[in-house]
Amino acid sequence: MDPRAWTRFRKNKGAFLGLALVALATLSAVAGPSLAPHDPNEQFRDTLIDGRGLPKGPLAVPDHLLGADTLGRDELSRLLHGGAVTMLVAFLATALAVSLGTLIGVTSGFFRGALDATFMRLVDLLLSLPFLLLAIAIKRVVADPGLEVLVLILALLSWTTLARVVRAKTLQVRELEYVLAARALGMSNARILLRHVLPNVAGPIIVLGTTLVAQLILFESALSFLGLGVEPPNASWGSMLREGSELIDSAPRLLLYPAAFIVMTVFGFNLLGEGLRDAFDPKE
Amino acid sequence: MSAYIARRLMSAFLVLMAVITLVFILMTQIGDPAAATLGNRANEDTVREFNARYGLDRPLGAQFLGYLGVIACQRPSSPVYDDDPATNGYCGLLQGDFGESFLHNAPVADVILRRLPRTLLLGALALLFELAIGLGFGVFAALRRNRWQDTSIMSTAYLGQSLPSYVTGPIFLSYAAFLFGLFPVGGYGSTPLEHLQHAVLPAFTLAILGASTYARVTRSEMLDALQSDYVRTAKAKGLGRSRVLSHALRNALLPVVTLAGLSLRLLVGGAIITEQIYGWPGMGKLAVESIVNVDAPTVMGVVFFVALAVQLGNLLADLAVAALDPRVRLAG
Repeated sequence: MDPRAWTRFRKNKGAFLGLALVALATLSAVAGPSLAPHDPNEQFRDTLIDGRGLPKGPLAVPDHLLGADTLGRDELSRLLHGGAVTMLVAFLATALAVSLGTLIGVTSGFFRGALDATFMRLVDLLLSLPFLLLAIAIKRVVADPGLEVLVLILALLSWTTLARVVRAKTLQVRELEYVLAARALGMSNARILLRHVLPNVAGPIIVLGTTLVAQLILFESALSFLGLGVEPPNASWGSMLREGSELIDSAPRLLLYPAAFIVMTVFGFNLLGEGLRDAFDPKE
Repeated sequence: MSAYIARRLMSAFLVLMAVITLVFILMTQIGDPAAATLGNRANEDTVREFNARYGLDRPLGAQFLGYLGVIACQRPSSPVYDDDPATNGYCGLLQGDFGESFLHNAPVADVILRRLPRTLLLGALALLFELAIGLGFGVFAALRRNRWQDTSIMSTAYLGQSLPSYVTGPIFLSYAAFLFGLFPVGGYGSTPLEHLQHAVLPAFTLAILGASTYARVTRSEMLDALQSDYVRTAKAKGLGRSRVLSHALRNALLPVVTLAGLSLRLLVGGAIITEQIYGWPGMGKLAVESIVNVDAPTVMGVVFFVALAVQLGNLLADLAVAALDPRVRLAG
C-alpha cells in the first residue's frame, strides 16, 4: 500500500466528514441497543396513541423523546435497535462478499486458465440477473426469517464487481518483475500471493468494500421496505420506513426519521469510499 | 468486427441459457403453482386439471425441455395448444414461445408486451432526465471548477447517490403530488397524455441516482478533456469557445455512453420499488406479483427479457464507444 495515501486522505475534507458519519453510525449501532430507553417491541397503546388513533409526536410524553410509531412503540428505541440490525447485516454481508470476491478474484487472476474462465462466466451470469427479483425469489424459497439468511443472500449477490476489479489488478501484478524474481528465488505460489499480490490489491478492496457497505444498507432497506427483510415485529431502518410511508400524510416524521438515518449513513460510507479512492489512486 | 459481434452474441446466448436454467430451478422450489393460483381449498380434480393443462404433471426435466422447445411442450390432450399443426406440438423458447401465464391465463409474451411499453416510457423518461440533468450540471461544474457552483453541484450529486427511491418516492408522492396537485397521484392514466403526466414523478424519482452519477462522471471526464493536448491545440489554432467545448465534450461522453448502456437493465426490468410505490403497472410490478403468485412462466419471461437487455445494452455501449472513438479497435 501507498504510504502517501494517508497524507492525501488527511487533506480531504469530504473524506473526513464521511469518516465522522461512519463513526457515528457505527457507534450508534454498537451502543444503541443498550442506550435505548425502552423495549423496542413493547406497545404503549394507552399512553402513546391519542383519541383519533394516531401516534403521539416528539416530546408529547416525557420519557418518549421522539414519540411513538403507528403501534404505540417508542420511536427512539426502535431507531436505535433498527440501526443495529441494519448495520450488523450490512457489515457481515460486506465482510463475506469481500472475502469471497477477493479469493475468487485473486485466484482467477493469478492462476488463469479454466478456473478463471469459469469464475468470470459466473460473474457475467450474476450481473445479468435482476438482483432485487432474485433476492425476493430466494427469500421466498428459503422461507427462514433469520438474519443469517439475509446476510447470505446479500453477500452471494454482491461479490461480483469486487472479484472483477481484484482479478484485473492481479493480472497486472503477476507480470511485474518482482513477482518473477520471487518465482526465480523459488518462492511458493501461496507465499507470492500473500506477500506480493494481496498487498498490491488491498487498495481497491478497501475502497470497494467501503462503498459496498453503503450499497448493502440500501439493499437491506429495499428488501425490508418490500416486507421481505427483517421480519416484524423487529425493527430495521427499512421496515420502519415502510411502516412510516403508510402514514405519511398524518405523521411524516415516521418516514423522515429512519430516512434521515439511512441517508446520512449511506452518504457517510460513500464519501469515505470516495476519499479513500482519491487517497489510493490520486490520478482518478 | 462481425467476428467480434458473433463472439459476443455467442457468449450472451450462453449466459441467457444459464439464467433460464437457474430461474427455472428456483421457481420449482418456490411453491406449488396450483395451490397459489387456485387457492388452498381447490378440490383434487381441479388441481389435476390445472396441472395437466400446463404440463405440470410431467417430470421436471421434461417440463424444462418442453419450455426450451426441444421436446413437445404439452401432452396431446392439452387444451391450451390443442395440437396446433403450425407448432407441431412444440411451443418453447426455440419456437419463440414463452409459455402460458398461470395467473393471467394468457400467453406470457402478450402479458409482457402489454407491460413493456409502460416500463419503456418510464425508463426512457428517466434516462432523459438523467442525461439532461447529469450532463448539464456535470459540464457546468467542470467549467466552474473549484468555485462555489462546482462545490455545491458536486455535494448535491454525492447526496443524490445516497437517496434511495423508497425515501424520495413517498415524499414526492405525498408533497409534490398531494399538496400541490401538480402531478397525478400514482397509477397510469388512460390517454397517452395522462400516461406521460403520471410518468413524470416516478421517472424523476428513478432519475435522481443516475443524474448524480452522470454529473460526477461527466465533470471528471470533462476536466481531463479540458486539460488535454488536443484542446490546447484547438485553442492555439484560434477555434471559438463553443467549438473547443464540443471537441472536449465528445471525448468526455465516452464513459457516459458505457454507463447508459449498463442502465438498459433498469429500463427494461422496470424499477421494482419505484413501480411499487407509484402503482405503475410495468414490468417490475409484474415480476413481483408473478413471484408472489408462483407464476413461473411469467417470472422466467421477465428475467429473460431483463438478461437479454443487459447483454444487448453492454454490446451496444461497446459498439457505440468504438464508433465514437477511432482508437478503440474491437478484437475479433
